[in-house]
Amino acid sequence: MGDAKRYPELRRRLSYRWWTANRHYTMYMVREWTSLFVALYSLMFIYGLSLWATGSRADFLNFLKNPAIIGFSLIAFVFTMYHAATWFYLLGAVVPVKIGRSRTKPWQALVLNIILLIIISFLAIWLVVLR
Amino acid sequence: MKVETHKVARLHALLWGIFSLGGMIAAFLLPVMIYMTAIAYPFGLWPFSSPSGCLYCPTRDPSFLVTGHLLGALFIFVTIAGSLYHGIFRFQTTLTELGLLKYRRALEAVGYFIIFVGIIVLGYYLVAWYLNGTIA
Repeated sequence: MGDAKRYPELRRRLSYRWWTANRHYTMYMVREWTSLFVALYSLMFIYGLSLWATGSRADFLNFLKNPAIIGFSLIAFVFTMYHAATWFYLLGAVVPVKIGRSRTKPWQALVLNIILLIIISFLAIWLVVLR
Repeated sequence: MKVETHKVARLHALLWGIFSLGGMIAAFLLPVMIYMTAIAYPFGLWPFSSPSGCLYCPTRDPSFLVTGHLLGALFIFVTIAGSLYHGIFRFQTTLTELGLLKYRRALEAVGYFIIFVGIIVLGYYLVAWYLNGTIA
């Protein structure tokens, strides 16, 4: 008799609303849903480029100035920042750095990476727009 | 059978590795990209604002990000392709956690199709513009 038969795997059936059971699960689900905005913004930008490729540069720029696109992008910006913050915190939790006898805390990784984010953002603007 | 499992495990590791890389890209590069295209440009903020009192100063717009120079085009490709992969991959996994586990294969197929088409289209435009000399 195989182990699978002797020790059948018991899986608890989860309701599709399991993420409302406690705050931790809910925040996890909010974090996961930020990915939808990340993906939609990327697809939206590709669509904007297709307007330029099949029409003119003005079509692309008008698309970026469309109030609906601005509104969606602002929401996407908030969710992307939330994604960044939670990602940085997770980095600190998953790969803590050992310094002497102590290990770095997740919030330290969050602060350090936010500073890095600001530096990278300024560097990107300087390199791709101002230079 | 064992070799097949090993190959699948290696493929999974690769896909999750790209997912993590996309997560880093979306965290570090996507915010500044959204700021430039959706906040700074439409609202006339730095770096797309014209200096006050200067009517004839040349101002740049987000099209410069794409065709200004090769580095800008690379920035666009890495940011959009990485974010698209990460976003779709993570969202399809989220849907399986919300009661759609039995449609996992279909979700993966649709997800990878969107990722593949999106990245190919983006790469095609950028390469075509570069070969035409549109990208400086």
